[in-house]
Amino acid sequence: MKEVELLIIGAGPAGMSAAIEAVKAGVKVTMLDENSLAGGQIFRQFHDGFHVTDPKALGHDYKRGQTLISEFEDIKNDVEYLDACLSWGFFENNEIAFLRNENSQSFRFHKLIISTGAYDRPVPFPGWTLPGILTAGGAQRLVKNQQVLPGENILLVGSGPLQLALASQILKIGGKVAGIVEAGRVENWGELARASWGQWTLLADAAHYFWKIGKARIPFLRNHIIVEARGNGQVEEAIIAEVDKNWRPKPGTEKVFKVDTVAVGYGFIPSTELTQMAGCQHRYDPLLGGWIVDRMENMGTSLPDVFAAGDCTGVAGSLVATDEGRIAGLAVAQTLGNLTKQEARQRMHPYRKSLARSKKFRKVMDAISLPRPGLYELAQKDTMICRCREIALGEIQEILQEEIKDINEIKRRLGIGMGPCQGRMCESAILAIVAKHKKISPADLGFLNPRPPLKPVLLSALADHTQL
Amino acid sequence: MGDRRVEKGIKRGQSLEIQVDGEKVTAFQGETIAAALTASGRRTFRRTKKKNEPRGMYCGIGLCFECRMEINGVPNTRACQTLVTPGCQVKTNDRPDQTEDEL
Repeated sequence: MKEVELLIIGAGPAGMSAAIEAVKAGVKVTMLDENSLAGGQIFRQFHDGFHVTDPKALGHDYKRGQTLISEFEDIKNDVEYLDACLSWGFFENNEIAFLRNENSQSFRFHKLIISTGAYDRPVPFPGWTLPGILTAGGAQRLVKNQQVLPGENILLVGSGPLQLALASQILKIGGKVAGIVEAGRVENWGELARASWGQWTLLADAAHYFWKIGKARIPFLRNHIIVEARGNGQVEEAIIAEVDKNWRPKPGTEKVFKVDTVAVGYGFIPSTELTQMAGCQHRYDPLLGGWIVDRMENMGTSLPDVFAAGDCTGVAGSLVATDEGRIAGLAVAQTLGNLTKQEARQRMHPYRKSLARSKKFRKVMDAISLPRPGLYELAQKDTMICRCREIALGEIQEILQEEIKDINEIKRRLGIGMGPCQGRMCESAILAIVAKHKKISPADLGFLNPRPPLKPVLLSALADHTQL
Repeated sequence: MGDRRVEKGIKRGQSLEIQVDGEKVTAFQGETIAAALTASGRRTFRRTKKKNEPRGMYCGIGLCFECRMEINGVPNTRACQTLVTPGCQVKTNDRPDQTEDEL
């Protein structure tokens, strides 16, 4: 099996930043990324074929991405970079198995940085499987990266800042936004104002978004959520309602939006499959998206050779991911002896400082958009919870009549979490449903044990798995 | 339904044709199959095994597998992760999805 000095999984902001610092310190870096181009979800690049003619028209996010990507391109010749590469398993003795061009093989790493990002929080409500309903992240990819409008009349529902960004991006390319439905609630404006002081980049973004949305006179409904979607073959109507502070709909406040598209964005869930499979210690933190890996200040996990950085360790966005990635890269360089403790500390200093600055702001923002219990009470008996195996809430409720110890028992009984998505689309909902039924915290239910392969892999490829 | 493509600050690649359930659909180099289908107003990418429900693109980033279609003869291929190629054959997964269990 091939041995590599530092293996980085995921080439988003955290992974690229880690590689930049590690290479500069003289570490030999190997990188695996699932996409054909570096950038991750947030800084996704245009595929070959598209030509950028006017970078300014693509907005500041694009520019921010290009700055980091070009810094990464400068060192990429010194990186063994494997694109279109699915890392599907973590095994004993520091082995990572991956699939590339339908060939499966393994590397043995000395140090590993996991920077696998996050994905949109799936939220089941009646009608959520209708075509035309997609995640905010999925809609954003179509708009930003393909310049295709997901529909003719788009309703945005959810909580948090991505909604504003997406609305502004849809408007920018000439799309129609029917409204923005925001569940989050600012309980304390003073606290928000104090925490925002100094966050000029993010505040400038927010001001730009609000200006854009205001100018287009888009209805903005605070303290509302989508309670149901209806339609024949695809979404035609979205029913929204006002909610109380626990996001429970107030009867009689329903309104109907006639739309052909609904983009749903209730924040993100960290991609913890690899840190979980590696056996790193995790804890449950609802503010950061659910189960997250425990880390030290240098981004090290409970396993000495495994580090983790960016949104996969708790959702905080690309600015934080970049700082964390740089610290992780430097920490690995130090543990490998490429940097002295003093040198590493010096180079980490600016990133630590910027992390400390954003910490308070993040906490306040996270608290505003933190999903409240009502969000996971929208599903009805016949609402699909598991999209893959078509398992509805009613079937889960039946199982709950019996004694259930942890979430893996439900997995074994119903086959939930064993379909192609491997539980990514249903785990958070199931945790919430079972926790509510048993009147305990989701933290007491554990998580779905990730099993290899982490994503569907052709059996023929596994049969030919080569241990180079 | 009109074309949903835009060009703001970019130019699209060469135009090409793909076949969707036997029908010709225009696409452009650099697009994903999901984007090309969305641009042409198509939203149902498959039907489910148990209840025969229509499904389209949901997560859009390769995780949920709701957009799986038969692409160039390979079943259960994610339309959101696959780029168009001239003449590629795309089929709605509308028959019982037997291969799912083998994934």
